[in-house]
Amino acid sequence: MKKNDVILIVVILALALASFGGIYLYSAGNTEDGEAVVYLDGVEQGRYPLSQELSLEIPAENGNYNLLEIKDGKADITEASCPDKICVNHRPVKHLGESLVCLPNRVVVEIENSGEAELDAATR
Amino acid sequence: MKKTYSAGILLLAVALLAGIVLIQERSSELKRYETTFFDSFDTVTVITGYAESQEAFEKQAGQLQEKLRYYHELFDIYHSYDGINNVKTINDAAGKEDVKVNQELINMLKLGVDMYQKTDGKINIAYGSVLSLWHEYREQGLEEPEHAQLPPENLRNERGQHTDISRLVINEKDSTVFLEDGEMSLDVGSIGKGYAVQRLAEYAKEAGMEHLLLSVGGNVCAVGSKPDGTPWQVGIENPDLESDKSYVGILELSGKSVVTSGDYQRFYVVDGKRYCHIIDPDTGMPPEHFPLVSVLAEDSGLADAWSTALFNMEFQEGLALVESMPGLEALWILEDGGIRCSGGFGFHEEK
Amino acid sequence: MAKKAAYMGMLTALAFVFSYIEFLIPVNVGIPGVKLGLANLVTIVALYIMGIREACTLSLIRILLTGLTFGNPAGMIYSFAGGALSLLVMTGARKLKLFSVTGVSVLGGVFHNLGQILAAAAVVENARLLYYLPALVLSGTIAGALIGLLAAVLVRRLEKLNRE
Repeated sequence: MKKNDVILIVVILALALASFGGIYLYSAGNTEDGEAVVYLDGVEQGRYPLSQELSLEIPAENGNYNLLEIKDGKADITEASCPDKICVNHRPVKHLGESLVCLPNRVVVEIENSGEAELDAATR
Repeated sequence: MKKTYSAGILLLAVALLAGIVLIQERSSELKRYETTFFDSFDTVTVITGYAESQEAFEKQAGQLQEKLRYYHELFDIYHSYDGINNVKTINDAAGKEDVKVNQELINMLKLGVDMYQKTDGKINIAYGSVLSLWHEYREQGLEEPEHAQLPPENLRNERGQHTDISRLVINEKDSTVFLEDGEMSLDVGSIGKGYAVQRLAEYAKEAGMEHLLLSVGGNVCAVGSKPDGTPWQVGIENPDLESDKSYVGILELSGKSVVTSGDYQRFYVVDGKRYCHIIDPDTGMPPEHFPLVSVLAEDSGLADAWSTALFNMEFQEGLALVESMPGLEALWILEDGGIRCSGGFGFHEEK
Repeated sequence: MAKKAAYMGMLTALAFVFSYIEFLIPVNVGIPGVKLGLANLVTIVALYIMGIREACTLSLIRILLTGLTFGNPAGMIYSFAGGALSLLVMTGARKLKLFSVTGVSVLGGVFHNLGQILAAAAVVENARLLYYLPALVLSGTIAGALIGLLAAVLVRRLEKLNRE
């Protein structure tokens, strides 16, 4: 019985190693594996892979909204109910750490989990 | 045989426990945390820092958030707050009476006056009457883009009569401020944020917070470097909104501040043309020299003020001024996308 | 019958104490879900000495007690998922008679972590969590093996006691 145990352990470890290698290769080769993460008032509302086209209305408070569109591996806010439209004017984002912020609606769309090198901050 | 087997297991268990304890020792290092909040200076603030635990970091960040909010209220020109005389208080009393204010406010105003002189009027904290006019038309233009208009020239000129900074009277002995002209008003948007960030950084250093990166709406200030000694990586945003490149390059920041002024964030469109929120005191109109300038300096207030001033100047004029001042560096992105740096502005361009 | 009840009570208390010990010595390797699995020791012993129903009850009570006292109530759902999958697999493995107690414990450890991760991924609706699977399989194997060796000794001793 002891022999079977050893075989079991070896097989499991081999599988684990193989899948670890597989995942590593996958995330290294896929440059568009980032996600647009939507936060409302700091609370995560949803994560959307940049690799899939999407048009999503983010409901904020009091009937306000921001329209998030993901296209060509980038996330952009194309419409919003806020008065200053800074979020709409902002360019589409796709790098890790980049974000689209709508202050009046307290909505933040941030890019996470991408395979790019990370910036600590951006001056603008 | 059984005895050795049991002994072996016991040994293994002890080894395991010892291993866990050792791992614990190694991981009581500093960990990286980040927090975001929205309640100051009409913008998003991100604080990135290293602390031993989430609670420790949140305590630090909470203190910083409170301090920032204090300056937000002190420099506010739109709201009054109980118990403090802020910039709005001064504006409301224009032409009537002087207002008693605290030393912080006076120091900030003095910086504004000093910068006016250094830049030959290219940054003017007494420019409120014209700025409020633009603010009005811009808000209108954003709400109803089809009817967007520029403020008419006669109105701009009329308001421009009430922007004489020499009529801002600061009495340090009595700690009071008085605006002689009843129609003039202060707008400290060009230096208030930077000044506050600088004070925040000083406060953080005194409180023993090293390894901090403050980003208040793009005004980035590094308190020290990262715990391993490497500098913070700060991206310079690409003002070309149509471009695929989000950043034109990366700046390494350690113990300094970088502030950017550009025409691509707060603007409105009239007849297909973009008009940004920074107004040149000499022309009464948004400048059209170049899309962006970033200023690097040890003091965040100076960086903020200089970025506005340089944005209002021609590139050559600005470059000459920057090169003449040690400790001040800048980067311009010109209309054609070309990048120009002053001597000491080290940055890696992203191709 | 009374002996059985006494046994159950003792084992439950033991499992609870082990959970507390795990709570006091958190293993921090940066990945969520890596644990010593000490409590599994009790579960496995119960499975071999008393049977599947008793082991199930034991696990259930332990998870509830832990979650409602020093643990995280919200995290109970992951413990349930992991515990359920682990117990299912261990019962099946034991019936197959292919492995010793150690081997069954390894399977228990691995599937406990698998159950937890699947539950977590389902709750946040994010399959990216599976990225942690290889590391958790590894830690589950190691923990399971060590716990298994201990369990083997215990089971043998207790079986002898029972027969006396």
